[in-house]
Amino acid sequence: MDELNLKEMIKSILNEMVNEVPPVINSPSKEATVNTRQTANSCVVEEGFIPDITEVDIRKQFLVPNAADKEGYLKMKSYTPARLGLWRTGTRYLTEPSLRFRADHAAAQDAVFSYVNEDLIKQMGFVEVATECKDKDEYVTRPDLGRKFSNEAINTIKNAVKPNQKVQVIVGDGLSSAAIEANIRDVLPSLQQGLKMFGLDFGQVVFIKHCRVPAMDPIGEATGAEVVCLFIGERPGLVTAESMSAYIAYKPTVGMPEARRTVVSNIHRQGTPAVEAGAYIAEIIKRMLDKKVSGLDLKEK
Amino acid sequence: MTETLLSVGIDIGTSTTQLILSELSIENIASVFTIPRVSIKDKKVIFKSDIIFTPILENNLIDSDGIKAFVEQQYKKAGITKSDIQTGAVIITGETVRKENAQAVAKALSGFAGDFVVATAGPDLESIIAGKGAGTYSYSESQYTTAVNFDIGGGTTNLVVFNNGDIEDTACFDIGGRLIKVDTSEIIRYISPKVKEIIKREALEIHLNEKINLKELDKLLAIFVQVLENSIGLGEKSPYFDLLITNKALSTKIQMKCISFSGGVADGITKDPIQNPFKYGDIGLLLGKKISGSLLMTDLKLIPTVETIRATVVGAGSHTTDVSGSTITYKEDILPLKNIPILQLSKDDESADNSGNLGSIIEEKVKWFMVDGEVQTIGLGIEGAHSPSFQFIQSLAKEMIKGLDLLIKEKLPLVIIVKEDMAKALGHSLYANLPKDYPFVCIDSVHVRNGDYIDIGMPIAEGSVLPVIVKTLVFN
Repeated sequence: MDELNLKEMIKSILNEMVNEVPPVINSPSKEATVNTRQTANSCVVEEGFIPDITEVDIRKQFLVPNAADKEGYLKMKSYTPARLGLWRTGTRYLTEPSLRFRADHAAAQDAVFSYVNEDLIKQMGFVEVATECKDKDEYVTRPDLGRKFSNEAINTIKNAVKPNQKVQVIVGDGLSSAAIEANIRDVLPSLQQGLKMFGLDFGQVVFIKHCRVPAMDPIGEATGAEVVCLFIGERPGLVTAESMSAYIAYKPTVGMPEARRTVVSNIHRQGTPAVEAGAYIAEIIKRMLDKKVSGLDLKEK
Repeated sequence: MTETLLSVGIDIGTSTTQLILSELSIENIASVFTIPRVSIKDKKVIFKSDIIFTPILENNLIDSDGIKAFVEQQYKKAGITKSDIQTGAVIITGETVRKENAQAVAKALSGFAGDFVVATAGPDLESIIAGKGAGTYSYSESQYTTAVNFDIGGGTTNLVVFNNGDIEDTACFDIGGRLIKVDTSEIIRYISPKVKEIIKREALEIHLNEKINLKELDKLLAIFVQVLENSIGLGEKSPYFDLLITNKALSTKIQMKCISFSGGVADGITKDPIQNPFKYGDIGLLLGKKISGSLLMTDLKLIPTVETIRATVVGAGSHTTDVSGSTITYKEDILPLKNIPILQLSKDDESADNSGNLGSIIEEKVKWFMVDGEVQTIGLGIEGAHSPSFQFIQSLAKEMIKGLDLLIKEKLPLVIIVKEDMAKALGHSLYANLPKDYPFVCIDSVHVRNGDYIDIGMPIAEGSVLPVIVKTLVFN
């Protein structure tokens, strides 16, 4: 889906929600008039701010009036991030859940269409390359290009990393730059510490802009690394825009079956904590090096 | 991928001793794409022993050999040997706990019954185990309600209150079916000390070696039932309420909606006429009958129990073992660990203000556990942080190592129990900062409190989790 389509889809969802009510400012309702007059009368700049509605924990938010069993409902809600018990007015959402829905949706969109902060890439000391995609639009519409590199990019990688290492770590923006920004600082040191328990380590980390999962394959071929581990942003949803996955493969090659990848998904605050994921992945990598296989083959061992 | 654990439960109560074997199914419920989440999926009782009268010696001590013979015989009957047993608990309950050799017998039996069978006792734990075995715990969890279970045995009545599947409170009263025993000609052969006092104060015509008087007995039973009503805040307060408390009454203010009954006396709670009230040589049937006409039956919703007389033993066999979180760190050669006392840090200790001196706080508290100037292995319990940063974990590990220095000097294994999901990363940090190959266990998703003891078994489910039993050992 390209950006235009996405925007259309969102527009239609939002229209359904607000039912094309014209903005309040144009409506001659009494309330609006009162508000305007108040603003006009007192031109005082207030100290303060509008509370951030995305700070509210939906699992603990409960708006049903006179509920028969509020505690029971909240207990059920604690097991799911679904938007339950947020009540309604007529057939529609209340204002706050409605705004929250839009805010979460906007965060999901931003995660796809924004780039990982350059400062973070520098700070972490990553070597940056890009796939053959020119921009985000092409990245979204051409998955085939998100796995290919120019010769120049391959040379950059070859010059930066040591050949034939035991472990090569790659970080890719994928469909959520926010996921990388939220998790990479904690997952990498934890992975490194875990690998050290087994006398292993990883060297120069490569960062890939406009990255699809199979982009790890040509890098595996170019570097000759035994295990390649790619951290990549997952397609964002309304629950979180910060979910990251790790795809790990033993000697990946271009065109290999997807079943050869081992994946650890749902790395985010409400899922697997980044530090735990890093520690766990260290053990997966150790097993891969011992058994010399990955993906389904590793499960069957 | 289902793995099963064979668990044994042995209940040595005031009047009866019994044994069950239970099969616990361990399963990874996470999808292939996420890290494992191993939990106990199913608990099935596969063998129920005969119920025997608890063997007591002439000198009023527990007959350890008698119980051993019973266990041996039942294992044979079930077609298993001691080495098949992977986990379980021996629980000494009711009045039996107060026998001088209770602790020694429990310990001896736990090893005799299987390698990782633990000894437990204490009215609080007994209440909880009985409530779980009776099914009241599951009911409160699945129905999102508050429920109280009365486990009425021979010597004591154990109360436990569950709220939406959480343990809210426990209590214990010296009320039971065998506080007065009669022989076949209905001559009274035993009266418990507290009951003697009530009889004296009420001037009841109930005396040793005399035929039991039903009318007088009814007055005594009325007092018992009134105290039971009082125990959950019903009825007018009895002057004997405090006298009949074993260790403590309920202190929770929570409104209880449902009630259930287990224990031997529960089977006697019926409005039907009794053919032979002293069939079992005690007052249990008549006590049950009296309860059936009490406020307990009308003021709360009565829920059925899955076990009555076997509630405690099923609880001991099926509901004491739990599994740790699935991302943990341990050195296998120090397992199993048994009877490790818990040092749980308070919220204040863990607060951010203390981040720099957590080590000295731990060190100070470790000294509380010194016996004759020597440190012992302790389980350090912490809350931890939700989705912590790597930095946080690093400094936590360093502070812990600083705080546990006394143990490290003695080369004692470290046992760390975290509530939040962070034990693998924390374990790796500990490994990185401890002397090479230092023995330790770091587990999460286990909740412990000060005063608890923990037992940790051999790894299961391809080494991803450890079975744990958290218990409260209170011998009066």
